[in-house]
Amino acid sequence: MKRLILALVLATLTVAARAELLIKVTEGRVDAVPIAIVPFDGDNEAPEQVSAIVEADLHRSGQFKPLPVKNMLSRPHTKDAIIYRDFRVLGQEYLVIGHTKPRDDGRYEVTYGLYDVGRQRELFSESYSPTKAQLRDVAHAISDRIYEELTGIPGAFSTKILYVTHNRGAKLPYQLQYADADGHRVKTILSSGEPIMSPSWSPDGSKIAYVSFENNGKPNIYVHDLASGQRSVVSRERGINGAPSWSPDGQRLVITLSKDGNPELYMVNVSGGGLTRLTDNYGIDTEARWMPDGEHVVFTSSRSGGPQIYMLNVNDRSARRVSFEGNYNARPDVTPDGRYLVYVHRRNGSFNVGVQDLQRGTFDIVTQTNMDESPSVAPNGSMVIYGTQRRGTGVLEAVSIDGRVKVELPSKEGEVREPAWSPFL
Amino acid sequence: MRSFVNPLFAVILAGVLAACSSTPTEQDTSATDTSGMDSQTGTTQPVERPESTRPDTSSVPLTADNFHNHPSNYDGTTDTRVIYFAFDSNTVPAAAFETLRAHATYLKNNANAKLRLEGHADERGTREYNVALSERRAQAVQKFLRVQGVSSSQLEVVSYGEEKPAAFGHSEMDWAKNRRVELNYVSGRP
Repeated sequence: MKRLILALVLATLTVAARAELLIKVTEGRVDAVPIAIVPFDGDNEAPEQVSAIVEADLHRSGQFKPLPVKNMLSRPHTKDAIIYRDFRVLGQEYLVIGHTKPRDDGRYEVTYGLYDVGRQRELFSESYSPTKAQLRDVAHAISDRIYEELTGIPGAFSTKILYVTHNRGAKLPYQLQYADADGHRVKTILSSGEPIMSPSWSPDGSKIAYVSFENNGKPNIYVHDLASGQRSVVSRERGINGAPSWSPDGQRLVITLSKDGNPELYMVNVSGGGLTRLTDNYGIDTEARWMPDGEHVVFTSSRSGGPQIYMLNVNDRSARRVSFEGNYNARPDVTPDGRYLVYVHRRNGSFNVGVQDLQRGTFDIVTQTNMDESPSVAPNGSMVIYGTQRRGTGVLEAVSIDGRVKVELPSKEGEVREPAWSPFL
Repeated sequence: MRSFVNPLFAVILAGVLAACSSTPTEQDTSATDTSGMDSQTGTTQPVERPESTRPDTSSVPLTADNFHNHPSNYDGTTDTRVIYFAFDSNTVPAAAFETLRAHATYLKNNANAKLRLEGHADERGTREYNVALSERRAQAVQKFLRVQGVSSSQLEVVSYGEEKPAAFGHSEMDWAKNRRVELNYVSGRP
């Protein structure tokens, strides 16, 4: 009897801990793949519940519908203990089982397998030996592997995000944050009394560029090495120094400067120097993003009146307009294959994220909130993270490129904005 | 009780005087009848005194729409340090001219004074584009002061876009308060 009570208490604790980790999927796909992720043996004793993190990752992708643990008829931890029928009757297509065991050397052994319920066979199994601090990394690596095995697309669960927070009333209200793609393990990498804007990743994910007003309230563009925390000023011209975007070869930044009186795009070496002007007209030119080909940038320009998206060839400096829906299109980002542009579109006074298919020429609005901004595409091209407002404060949300999956990220203290999704690390 | 009498009397007297000075009486109808203008020549026409051109601040409701032009925002001296702008506009509002002229006079008389013009936008639209838009507002104020004869070395423009709001809500009125250029003296503050 005592044992039963203890088991019940443990089960309750497990459910509570899991609920906290779950991210709110506000809209999922009806054809999401049913998958049963059995709590790993030893997860409850480990500092991180690896199986719960995998479940949350796959759930957040919108492509999978994990079976609630309480509905499981059996909870096997080894291949031999699997009763496939228990999962088949619940309509499950795949099954994940495993264990997390502490080792004598202080590390953990994490072993898991993915099983096809219909065919009753193992698809693969793997083993890791992480330190305590690496348990979350291993969980995300497992999610990546399962996601790729079942969808054919590399998973982006092991990636990072940067974002800016604003805590009014704090001594240093503006902060640049660095976190896992699921919002966990947040690290503040810069705190300032003045605004921080427009974080952008180097293509190898080792460095970032951003705008900080920390120098006497004036905007400077910084390049910041994440591992060492060392940084250098790349641009501190008179007027605007804004909107850095890192070239695919990692050597140059496209930035916005107004030193000659009007915001124009310039190219500058990451090490500083080599400043070259790319645009020249009376409108505003800003918010550039490199295309993956390394030859073009997309950017916002008001040369035709209101803001529209243009594409510029950085070699011959010819520009052509690419957005034609409505009278406000701005702040583009691009998928890694260069096929889709995502940008902010205004319609009936509401700002939403739109996706333009450059191949087919179609344009779709994929969000329904009304203050959406700063869309940033995941390195596998599956999701777009963006800032929006809920209950009067800035929060982060993510939406799939096709608009079928929507996810609210856990809310943080204060205003959260300008997310930038890292490349594969 | 006595204290009520005098103000009351004053109001009545004011009413009587007002009636005498400007309001046409019943007997004047022929003079104010516009149809009379066609048929009669050589007659005089009374002309109403024009109202004061100074707007009465208290009677103008303070709304988000007229916030940038509201007289209560501008006192015509260097005490006023914020210029508000209409939605999607970088035109300096006429109501701010007198205040800006006061700053211009001060700057011209105090060569050591340096003014930083800080442009701001409301939260709608994308962030870097708003930085560009609000720079245009600060530049418009800069141009106004330059035309008044202020030296360019006394003026500096910084643009913050929507990053440093003055009002933190999300209503039309909050936005009106955030579309602004702040005049901050970095030296020689009046």
